[in-house]
Amino acid sequence: MMQARGSYLGVNHVPVFQLIERLNMRSALFALILMVCGVPAVTAQTFQPILQTYASEIVKPSRKTVGATIDAITASGLPQITFFLEQWSEKNIWQRNDGTFFVATAAGDSLTLTDVDTQATTTAPKSDFKQLKPNGGVRRLIGTALVQFQLLDPDLSRRETAVASIARRPEAAQLAPLLASIGGEVDEALKARKTQLANFMSASFATDTQDRIAAINSLSADTSVEARAVLNQILTTTTGVASLAPEGNIAAILDPMVTPDQSYDALVKAKRALPKQTAGDIKKALEANITVGRIAGFPLAQMDDPLMRKAAYTALAAEGRVPVLITPEVRDAALSSHIFYELYAEPNAQITAAAEVARKSANNRVATAQFADLTLDALSLASIFFLAAIGLAITFGVMGVINMAHGEFIMMGAYTGYVVQLFIPNYTVSIFVALPLAFAVTFVAGVVMERLVVRRLYHRPLETLLATFGISIALQQLAKNVFGTQARPLTSPDWLAGAWIVNDVIQISYIRIAIFILALLFLGLIIYILKRTRLGLEVRAVTQNSGMASSLGINPDRINMMTFGLGSGIAGIAGVAIGLYAKVTSEMGSDYIVQSFMTVVVGGVGNVWGTLAGAAMIGFGQKGIEWLNPSNTLAAQTYMILFVILFIQFRPKGIVALKGRAAGD
Amino acid sequence: MSIRSTLLSTISAGVISVAGSAVLAECATPIKVGVLHSLSGSMAISETTLKDAMLMLIDQQNAKGGLLGCELEAVVVDPASDWPLFAEKARELLTVNKVDVIFGNWTSVSRKSVLPVIEELNGLLFYPVQYEGEESSKNVFYTGAAPNQQAIPATDYFLEELGVEKFALLGTDYVYPRTTNNILESYLKDKGIAAEDIFVNYTPFGQSDWATIVADVVALGEDGKQVGVISTINGDANIGFYKELAAAGISADDIPVIAFSVGEEELSGLDTSNLVGHLAAWNYFQSAESEVNKYFIAAWKAFAGKERVTNDPMEAHFIGFNMWVNAAIEAGTTDVDAVRTAMYGQEHPNLTGGTAVMLPNHHLAKPVLIGEIQADGQFDIIIQTSEVPGDAWTDFLPASAVLKSDWKDLGCGMYNIETETCVQLTSNY
Repeated sequence: MMQARGSYLGVNHVPVFQLIERLNMRSALFALILMVCGVPAVTAQTFQPILQTYASEIVKPSRKTVGATIDAITASGLPQITFFLEQWSEKNIWQRNDGTFFVATAAGDSLTLTDVDTQATTTAPKSDFKQLKPNGGVRRLIGTALVQFQLLDPDLSRRETAVASIARRPEAAQLAPLLASIGGEVDEALKARKTQLANFMSASFATDTQDRIAAINSLSADTSVEARAVLNQILTTTTGVASLAPEGNIAAILDPMVTPDQSYDALVKAKRALPKQTAGDIKKALEANITVGRIAGFPLAQMDDPLMRKAAYTALAAEGRVPVLITPEVRDAALSSHIFYELYAEPNAQITAAAEVARKSANNRVATAQFADLTLDALSLASIFFLAAIGLAITFGVMGVINMAHGEFIMMGAYTGYVVQLFIPNYTVSIFVALPLAFAVTFVAGVVMERLVVRRLYHRPLETLLATFGISIALQQLAKNVFGTQARPLTSPDWLAGAWIVNDVIQISYIRIAIFILALLFLGLIIYILKRTRLGLEVRAVTQNSGMASSLGINPDRINMMTFGLGSGIAGIAGVAIGLYAKVTSEMGSDYIVQSFMTVVVGGVGNVWGTLAGAAMIGFGQKGIEWLNPSNTLAAQTYMILFVILFIQFRPKGIVALKGRAAGD
Repeated sequence: MSIRSTLLSTISAGVISVAGSAVLAECATPIKVGVLHSLSGSMAISETTLKDAMLMLIDQQNAKGGLLGCELEAVVVDPASDWPLFAEKARELLTVNKVDVIFGNWTSVSRKSVLPVIEELNGLLFYPVQYEGEESSKNVFYTGAAPNQQAIPATDYFLEELGVEKFALLGTDYVYPRTTNNILESYLKDKGIAAEDIFVNYTPFGQSDWATIVADVVALGEDGKQVGVISTINGDANIGFYKELAAAGISADDIPVIAFSVGEEELSGLDTSNLVGHLAAWNYFQSAESEVNKYFIAAWKAFAGKERVTNDPMEAHFIGFNMWVNAAIEAGTTDVDAVRTAMYGQEHPNLTGGTAVMLPNHHLAKPVLIGEIQADGQFDIIIQTSEVPGDAWTDFLPASAVLKSDWKDLGCGMYNIETETCVQLTSNY
C-alpha cells in the first residue's frame, strides 16, 4: 500500500553532520530562550496567547520563515499542539476579526467553531472570519513537525501521514524515533515501509560507519527513485581548484587540458589567474598607450592587422605597462600549476566507495528496468494501433475499399460508451454494456454506409476515397450537433483506475493492460472467424477471387456487406477502449485515421498478421524514437512517418505480403 | 453564419422591443461586435465558453440600452482551431460584416495569424488570454496576463514556497509555450538553477499518449532534488496528461504541477478527485470572494446553465468589453482610433475586488492568484497579490529587456530605450 513510487527525498544539499549540528543547536537555543524567559509550568498555560505572539506569521506563513513559529508551537509542550497543527494543515483554522484563532468547519454561511483551548463549540456567521490557507511548502514543514507526535498515534492514517512526511523531507533527528516505532507497529504494510525508510535514512544519517555501509550495500538492489536519491545525495561533489591537492575525500582529479578554455575560466573565477584579454581589451590597452603616433615603437598605421596589435601589446607588456598577454602557452602553464579536483561532501572514503559501487549497480538495474518499461509502453501503443487498425485492415484488405470514415466509426463507438454511462451510473456495468452496444451500433452504421454509398463505387478507389471522406466530415459535424463541441467524459471503473507498479521505473496503467488484452482477444476472434467459420471461409474466397466465389454460390454483395459491418463494428469497440484512456471529442477519429492507414499499409494488406506486424513496428519504432529524443514528441512522430515512407520504398507490399494472383496486380 | 447573425439580431430586436425601455430608434444599423473563438477542434473545450460569455455581456449591455443609443449585435464565427482560418475569419469580420471590434483568440499562434490582418485593416482586437509577451500591437488590447503577471510569480512560488530545485517545463508545441519556456529558462538560470536541472518537452496539440513523458518527469527526482512541473499544455491534451498523472499516483505533495492554461472550464471535463492539490496560476478564480464576482457568477449561471463555471479569460472579456463600452461612450463613437485613445487610463472594477487599469502599453494591471485544485473542480486560492502592471517586453531576455511599449506618449509599441528610437510600428508575426 505504501509504495516507494513517486515519493523521494526533498533534502537540501547539506552534509549530514551539519544537519545534526543545526538541529541540536536549534533545540538548544530554544531551551535556552525558554529558560531565560522564565516560561512558567507548561500545564498552566493556554494556547491562544502563544498563537497571538506569532499571529502575523500564522496568518500569512512563508516556507522560509514559518520554521521558527512551528518550533515555538511544538516547544510549548501543550496537549493541543497536534490537533492545532493538523487542523492548520487542512485549512480549518479561521481568524476572527478581533484576531482570535479558532478551529472551524463551514456550513453554508455560518461556521461551527471550536475553541483551541477549551474545545467548546459555538456557531458564528462566516463574514466575521478569515480562513487561513497555508501553501504546500508550509504544509510540508507542518507535516515534518507533526512526525514526532504522529509516529506512535493509535490512528493508522495519522501514522501513515507521519511516515510520508518523513519520506519527503528526511532529517537526521527523525531516524531514532522512526527506528523506535518499528517494533511496535501492527500494520504489516506500514511496518515494511518504515523499515525501508529507516534503511534509507541509516545510509545517510546513522552515526556508526559500519551501519551506514550495511545500509548502502542493501540499496544496490533497490531501483526506486528514493534509493537512488539517497545514494546520489551521499555522493554529491563540489568542483574546485587549488595549487595543492586538498584535504578531504577526493572524488576525482580532473585533467584541465581536456577543455583548456573552460578550465582557465574556472581558474579566473577562483581569482587564481588573470582574465584572458579579448580583442576589445587589447584595443583599449593600445589606445591608452599611444605616444606620438606610435605604440611601443610600432607605427599606428600598422594597427589594422591583429597580429601587429598582438605584437605591440606584447611589447607593452614587456615594458610592464599592461598585464601579460594570455597566450595559449601562458594559459597551459597556469593550468598545469594548479590541481582541479572534485571533492565529496561526505568525508568518509569508505562510505563513498560503498556508495559508488551501490550506485553503479542500481543504475545498471535501472537501465534494464527502463528498457522493460519502454517495451511495455511500446506494446501498449502497438495494441492501441492494432485495435484501431484491424477494422480497416479487414475492409481495405478484403474489399480494397479505402474507408476514410474509419476514424469516425471509432468516434461513434466512444460516444456510444458515453451515452451508456449517462443512463447506467455503475461504471463497470456500463462498460460491459457499452462494448457490445458499440459493436452493434457501428456494425449497423457500416452496413448502411456500404449499401448506400460504397457498393455503387466498387473498383473506383478514388471516388470511394472522396465519398467516404465526405461522410467522415458529415459524421463529425453530426456528432458536434448532437453532443456539443466539448470533450465528454468516459470514466473507467475503479478496478481499472491506477497502474500496475512493478517498481519505480516499470509501471503501466491498468487501462492499457485492458486494451492490450482486448487487442489479443480480437486477434484471436478474427483469426477464429476467418479460419473456422463459414462466414470466414466465404470472406477469404471472395478476397481471393470474387468471380469464382460467386460462381460457387457465394453472394459477394452479402459478404462485402458483412465484412464492412464487421470491420466497422470492431472500430466501434476500439472507440470505447480509446475513449477510456484518451478523450471523447468529435474529432478523435482524425487522431487515429493516419496511424491506422500507416499500420495497414506497412503491415501488408489483406492479412491479419500483417496488421499485427505493422502495429508492432510502428508502436516500437515510435517509442524508440521518443526515447532517443525525449524533448519533442512531435519530432518523434514526424521521424516515424519518414521511416514509414522509406520502408514503403523498399517493401511496397508491406511486411506480410500477399502472393500470387490474390495479390491483385 | 449570416443566418445565425440575422437570427440573433431578430431575437435581440424582439427582446428590446418587448422590454420597451431603450431608445434605439436613432440607430440605422446595430453596432456589430465580432466574436472570434474556436467552436470546434482541439481548442473548443477552452474557447466555446468565451463565445457564450461574450453573448451574455452583449445581452446585458443591450438590456441597459445598448451603446451610444444603438443596439449591439454579436457576429459569431468559428475558426475551428485552424490558425490560417483565424486570419480568414478576421478578414471576413472586418470587411464583410464590418464589425467595430473583435473579441477573440486563445492560442498565441491564432493571434499571430490574425495580427497582419487587423494591422492592415486597422481593426481592434481584445485578447483575453494569458500569453508570452514579446508583443504590443497598436490594434490589440491584451486583457490577459503577461509573463510577469503569471509565469514569473508562479515560478517564484515554486522556488520560494515549495522549494523546487528541478524543473520540468512541459508545453504544447507552438509559440506561447516556447517563448514562455525561454523566458523561464533564462529566469531560472539567473536564480541559480543549473541547466541540467531544467527538463523541457514539447508535444503536439491533442496529444493523448503521456505515459513516457510522465515517467521521464518522475525519473527526474532520482538525485534527490525536489521536482516541480510548469505546464503550458493547451487544449484537450490536458485531459490525457492529468489522467496519466492520476493513474501514476503522482500527488501534488510529491511533484507539484502548476498549469497556466488549465482553469475551471478545462477541469469540468475531468475527474478531479485525484488532482487535488495541484496548482494553477491566473488572475481570477471563480472562488474569488467579492460582491461583483457573486453577481457575475449568478448572471452567468442564469444565462448559460447551472453547471457552467467561470474562469479567468471570461473575467478578461468582462473587463475588456466594459472598458471598450466606456471608451466608446467617452469618445462618442466606435471608430477604432478614437476608442483607442480613450482606452488609456480606463478603469473598471475587476472580479477579485480590485480595479483594472488599462496602461499605455495596452496591458492591464492585474492581481496574481495561485490556487489549488479541489475535488469539486474549483480552485482554493492560496495567494492573492495586489494589482501588478503588465510588462509587454520581459526583462529576463536580453533582446527584449531594452524594449518598452508606450502607445499613448511615444506612439510606439517597440521602443528601444537605449537607442531611444522606435524599432517598428507593426508587430512581429
